[in-house]
Amino acid sequence: MAIARVPVPEAVEAAPPGAVARWLAATREFCRARTLGAVGAAVIVVMFAVALLAPVLAAYDPEAVDFGAMLARPSLAHWLGTDSFGRDVLSRLIFGSRTALMVGFGASVLGATLGAILGVGSAYFGGRVDLYLQRVMDVFLSFPLIVLALALVAILGNSIPNLIMAIMVPMIPRSALVIRSSALAIREMPFVDAARAAGFGHARIVLRHMLPNVMAPYLIMLTAFLGQAILAEASLSFLGLGVQEPTAAWGLMLRGAAVEFAETAPWMAIFPGLAISLSVFAFNLFGDSLRDALDPRLRTQ
Amino acid sequence: MWKYLVKRFLLMFPTLLGVALLTFVLIRVIPGDVVELRYAGDRGSVSQDVLEKERARFGLDQPLWRQFATWVLGVARLDFGESMWTGAPIWQEIRLRFALSLQVAIMATLVAVVLAIPLGVLAALKQDSWIDYAVRIFSIAGLATPSFWLGIVFILLLLVVFHWLPPMIYTPFWVSPWENLKQLIWPALAVGYRYSAVATRMTRSAMLEVLREDYIRTARAKGLVQRLILARHALKNAMLPVLTVVALEFAFLIGGLVVTEQVFNLNGLGLLFVQAVAHRDYTLIQALVMLVAGVFIVVNFLMDIGYAWIDPRIRYR
Repeated sequence: MAIARVPVPEAVEAAPPGAVARWLAATREFCRARTLGAVGAAVIVVMFAVALLAPVLAAYDPEAVDFGAMLARPSLAHWLGTDSFGRDVLSRLIFGSRTALMVGFGASVLGATLGAILGVGSAYFGGRVDLYLQRVMDVFLSFPLIVLALALVAILGNSIPNLIMAIMVPMIPRSALVIRSSALAIREMPFVDAARAAGFGHARIVLRHMLPNVMAPYLIMLTAFLGQAILAEASLSFLGLGVQEPTAAWGLMLRGAAVEFAETAPWMAIFPGLAISLSVFAFNLFGDSLRDALDPRLRTQ
Repeated sequence: MWKYLVKRFLLMFPTLLGVALLTFVLIRVIPGDVVELRYAGDRGSVSQDVLEKERARFGLDQPLWRQFATWVLGVARLDFGESMWTGAPIWQEIRLRFALSLQVAIMATLVAVVLAIPLGVLAALKQDSWIDYAVRIFSIAGLATPSFWLGIVFILLLLVVFHWLPPMIYTPFWVSPWENLKQLIWPALAVGYRYSAVATRMTRSAMLEVLREDYIRTARAKGLVQRLILARHALKNAMLPVLTVVALEFAFLIGGLVVTEQVFNLNGLGLLFVQAVAHRDYTLIQALVMLVAGVFIVVNFLMDIGYAWIDPRIRYR
């Protein structure tokens, strides 16, 4: 590496021409070669559409109590039945997708991004900064995700922004760990030396030169975190420590009555779980194919 | 080698101290304390004086640094003190629950390993065939299904199909192994499925990588039968990363079964932790976190030793 220290500043920052066309071609290639991933992506798109169009799609107000139709079986009026308050399960599922996506995206994007900045910074500065940051990360990594999130929710309270915070924090060190190991290799690249020789500041080098080059592991982490964040939100809500009634959230729908009446009204327990599994499944499917596509070592030979 | 091990060993202590400090600070940031909660029922009838006296009894009136120092010095002598809520010694509170959580974690690990290794190897050997796809879908589904929901589905199926419910009262293994297994096999299966998914994926990708190595080609070229190539050359080298994920997941399972324990009405460490947080039982929370994080840190250390022991390339670094 030491021999190759030739400054190549013009190749560093200019955006390649025809970026949009390249993206389109890459997307087409992805759909063709990675069918499973494309299926995952399709489910994600549908999920987004459902969340956006929730007021149009839902036949009932998700929070409207109807004591005339408590624990009703699935029928034409209520396709997936009603819960113990007579609320329409399908409408609650549709509105619940908003909660899941909001918490899922909020927590995973923030967690993966902050972790990436810390990881790249840690690799770039090296030495003592790296050593101390690693020790702090070790401490956070010693807690199971759910335990740390539980403690944070107890401190912050359980509004949706606080839930996002609580789920995001345990993700930061996990992202930093992965990104740091990729960034260590990038730091040795000649273009980083070139940028330094050109007199750029540390922040600029980290954010504009190194960060874009860890995009592949970053995207892989992000899609993996998305599923984990949705699961964590569901778990916390199930424990009664996450989203609060009467807001529609999948984990919350599984709490209490759903278990009590599991025998007589199984639809209450089955459909929200299917919704959680299907959405996390889609994110994982997509993330997996993305990883295979981005990591040349894993391609079939 | 020795230098490396000693360094790794010594590094455990700052991490443990960091965990202790973080826990200590975090739980004191949670609004309210154990004294306030205990007398919350008869608000107003208890004078401020009594509350102060109670706080003094737990040492909560001391400056924070002194509370921390007292506690850490106690932990260093393996004395975790008494629960602030029940007054019982921490060890007595934790012992049975630890045994329960440990047993579920061990059983789930068995389920995971038995499923993961054959499936992962098979998927890697038949990469991009329908078998590979089926295994991948099965394992991605495992990652996607919340174990607590799977638990609910298990209970529901047992009820509908066999008109039978697993026992809801815990029997220790040494009292009646059969009763004990009848209850604990279900949470172990529910958790084990997710856990096996993690391990299957790791087995598959590790095998894929190893199968491309030159020594596998050499083994094939010299006419070794497939079974021996797999057992002696491929699996042996692919097992390291698999062992790592299995061990780390195991360490997390001991304290991380919070939600599944709730579904199966198991009085394990996870449930105890939720209760302790609700009661602001500082000493109990601290002890639980130290136990869970301690297990994780020690398992991590043992993994590093194991690596150095199994892989000579690391030993000579």
